[in-house]
Amino acid sequence: MKKIENFNITGDVAISVKEMNLHYGTFHALKSIYMDFPVNQLTAMIGPSGCGKSTLIKSLNRMNDLIEGCKITGEIKVGDTNIYDKKTDLARLRKNVGMVFQRPNPLAMSVYDNIAYGPRTFGIRSKSDLDGIVEKSLRGAAMWNEVKDRLNKSALGLSGGQQQRLCIARSLAVEPQILLMDEPTSALDPISTGKIEELCTELKKNMTIIMVTHNMQQAFRIADKTAYFLLGEMIEMDDTKVIFSHPKNKKTDDYINGRFG
Amino acid sequence: MAEIMTEEKEKRSFKDIIAAAFTKESFAKGVFTAFAAFSILAVFAIIFYILYDSIPAFREIGFFNFIFGDIWNPKAGEYGILPMILTTLLLTVLSVVIGSVFAIFTAVFIVYYCPKCIKKVYTQMVNLLAGIPSIIYAYFGFEMIKPIIEDMSGRTFGYGILLSMIILSIMILPTIASITKNSLESVPAQYYEGSLALGNTKNQTVFKVMLPAAKNGILAAIILGIGRAVGETMAVQFLLGGAVSYPTDFIIPISSLTSKIAQEFGESGGLHRQALIAVGFILLVFILIINLALWFVKRNNAVAGNSFFTRKIKESDIEHTAPNYKRTGTIQDALRIICYVVAVIVAAALMSIVLYTLIKGLPEVTWHNMFGKSFNSKPTLAPAFVSTSVIILISLAIALPLGIGAAIYLNEYSRRGSKFVSTIRLFIDTLAGVPSILFGLFGYIFFVKLFGSANLLAGSFTIVLMILPTVIRSTEQSLSEVPDSMREASYALGAGKLRTVFVVVLPQALPGIITAIILSIGRIVGESAALIYTAGSSFLMPNSLVSPGSTFAVFMYNLQAEGLDTKFLAYAAGAILIIFVLFLNILIMLLENYFNNKAANRKGKIRTYIDKLRKREAKNEEN
Ligand SMILES: Nc1ncnc2c1ncn2[C@@H]1O[C@H](COP(=O)(O)OP(=O)(O)OP(=O)(O)O)[C@@H](O)[C@H]1O
Ligand SMILES: [Mg+2]
Repeated sequence: MKKIENFNITGDVAISVKEMNLHYGTFHALKSIYMDFPVNQLTAMIGPSGCGKSTLIKSLNRMNDLIEGCKITGEIKVGDTNIYDKKTDLARLRKNVGMVFQRPNPLAMSVYDNIAYGPRTFGIRSKSDLDGIVEKSLRGAAMWNEVKDRLNKSALGLSGGQQQRLCIARSLAVEPQILLMDEPTSALDPISTGKIEELCTELKKNMTIIMVTHNMQQAFRIADKTAYFLLGEMIEMDDTKVIFSHPKNKKTDDYINGRFG
Repeated sequence: MAEIMTEEKEKRSFKDIIAAAFTKESFAKGVFTAFAAFSILAVFAIIFYILYDSIPAFREIGFFNFIFGDIWNPKAGEYGILPMILTTLLLTVLSVVIGSVFAIFTAVFIVYYCPKCIKKVYTQMVNLLAGIPSIIYAYFGFEMIKPIIEDMSGRTFGYGILLSMIILSIMILPTIASITKNSLESVPAQYYEGSLALGNTKNQTVFKVMLPAAKNGILAAIILGIGRAVGETMAVQFLLGGAVSYPTDFIIPISSLTSKIAQEFGESGGLHRQALIAVGFILLVFILIINLALWFVKRNNAVAGNSFFTRKIKESDIEHTAPNYKRTGTIQDALRIICYVVAVIVAAALMSIVLYTLIKGLPEVTWHNMFGKSFNSKPTLAPAFVSTSVIILISLAIALPLGIGAAIYLNEYSRRGSKFVSTIRLFIDTLAGVPSILFGLFGYIFFVKLFGSANLLAGSFTIVLMILPTVIRSTEQSLSEVPDSMREASYALGAGKLRTVFVVVLPQALPGIITAIILSIGRIVGESAALIYTAGSSFLMPNSLVSPGSTFAVFMYNLQAEGLDTKFLAYAAGAILIIFVLFLNILIMLLENYFNNKAANRKGKIRTYIDKLRKREAKNEEN
């Protein structure tokens, strides 16, 4: 058995996307994307429905592989590794680039087993190791105190907000370097949303976070960088403050100031 | 914290690269694909072996003499089956017409008129009717209905088409009723509301809007019923009377294709046996045609069904009935009354069969009759307990992995809309439509010849083919209900397909698998035609897997066929069978409730959650 290696991320850039095009069958969903996601910062992606945000974020850990007829050209590098290389080990990629989905999707198992699922996939069997990981991950997602007494209850019985934080904890359990989040709070109430935003601010100290959001205030509150997408193109990416105060592109300005449509 | 490890080797030699092509994942995929393709193999094997063993008969007798000959007299070397073909056709048409009319009214009753409080019980009753073994219908017809026909007609023998038709229509009723019920329930609710909103009465809505809208489903149900009627063996063998003549009268002893095979196969040899297998082949051709028809109807259902109905209902029914401003719908009101009448008749039929079997059988269910040592001269049911259990265990042990593997392929691995998959489905459906007597013939030709004798193993292997479609469909249904988001979650955590399927998806398919097990046990317990010539018939305790053994149903058949003075044992076996089938039905109902409640709890939570979201949105809008 060999340790699953982390990606070698040395510079300021965690993921770099170059000349990336994506087709669903004949539909050109992403057009010539160039982006650099900075290390240990939170990058938000905003844009109207259907502009390709989910498509892009999914291609960063190759979840698009599951979709029939999805073709990708160009280059996506995590650190110095091109993840669309033939030799790519998908397990390694997805361990290091974790993902949280729009709808909380706990597995139909206990809270404990949900968290332990990832580590077990990578061969960790010892009970004490797993106990440690479960506690650490749940603490990491700021919900240890809430669920420590119901670790063996089904995760499906948790509230929506708890389920989503469980999903975050589950991603943390395999110690990813990068965390992808596709509208992680869109199905949650304001209190749960607040908790998750807080959590993200905490997490980004040690990991790179890329988040899709429809909530502009949210992007403004927590994102270091913001990228604006329209019709499959990346229109503009800059420091969040710049995007929200003096966007360079008029389309971005229209969208931010509600003149979109 | 522990290091995260993988099983990959450090150095990659040439060997490893080859090995990588045969990873666990691709190996598993190969296995699942093979399991799924097994149904295709099975259907071809059945067709091939039965055809191959019929060829000598076709050669010797001459194909046309065989099909169009009107005399069947094996002793004189005459083998003409036209009278049997006509009998089969006539019997099928009559019982399907009667059976479907009753079934459709029954389904309408259940869906629209049945009082809530008895709806579950009544539905369960119809299911029970489907679970009662053929052999019990055979006894019931023979001992209860035949005397009545004899009394009323004044003839010596009540055998014939009339008697068989009555029993056969009851037998196919539940199949047609339950599919009709499903298609009625899947008609969009807007049709119902729309029609009521235009001033139609409930009865008009039910009979002029809903029933036509479920037309395709009902057609499929009727075709399925035709398949069952053509293939039914045990009951008609008891009730037709066994002589061979043209169906010139409804009350004369006569034979159908299936009844002739069952009646003479055991004592036949040489050309006679080959001729019976050839009869089986003709039957198989009928069944394949019916299956193809069913396939076409189903396919059209999927493509054109809905839009067609929407248009039709708008133009003809809803708008034409409403602006008449007269109180219309007396016909529909009358139909509703017929519904109630039919419902009562069906319930009465079920009650009389169950009561008849219990009243006759329960007094004979004694300790000695059940567990005493069995001799040829003085049999008991002890061997039946053993044989039945052994056949259930072996066939499930094979059919479950095979069927679950196939279901996994179909639901988890196959690409949507691929030709291969639709072919597999066609063959699974075909296999499901093959009547037991043909499984019996195939089992005899293939497994019995393989083992050199009819025994428990040969019987179990035959049964595997029979229950396989049930296992596949039921498992697949459950698998398809597992939300994709869970699969996504698993992949996003770096898990492979195999782990995702076995750890995340399969445990959730448990309800389907358990249902499949119970349904299969029900079929095995009630089966006689497929086992008589494959598992053998013996009153003795089997002492190994390769000794012959009779299940309860086969026991009942033997006791009648051999005319021993031991019929009381058959009644005991009948009572045990009925009680067991009842038990299985209740079990399924309880399990369904249990799993539904679980799902409902989950759904309930999601619903409150969605409600919360709505409220939040509303608040946001206010601000
Ligand atoms: N599996 C698919 N097959 C074909 N087209 C797809 C598929 N998934 C997405 N698309 C199309 O690609 C485009 C981008 O979709 P995507 O889901 O990435 O949008 P999005 O920006 O995430 O929108 P939203 O904000 O609504 O989530 C859309 O036009 C969508 O219709
Ligand atoms: Mg999206």
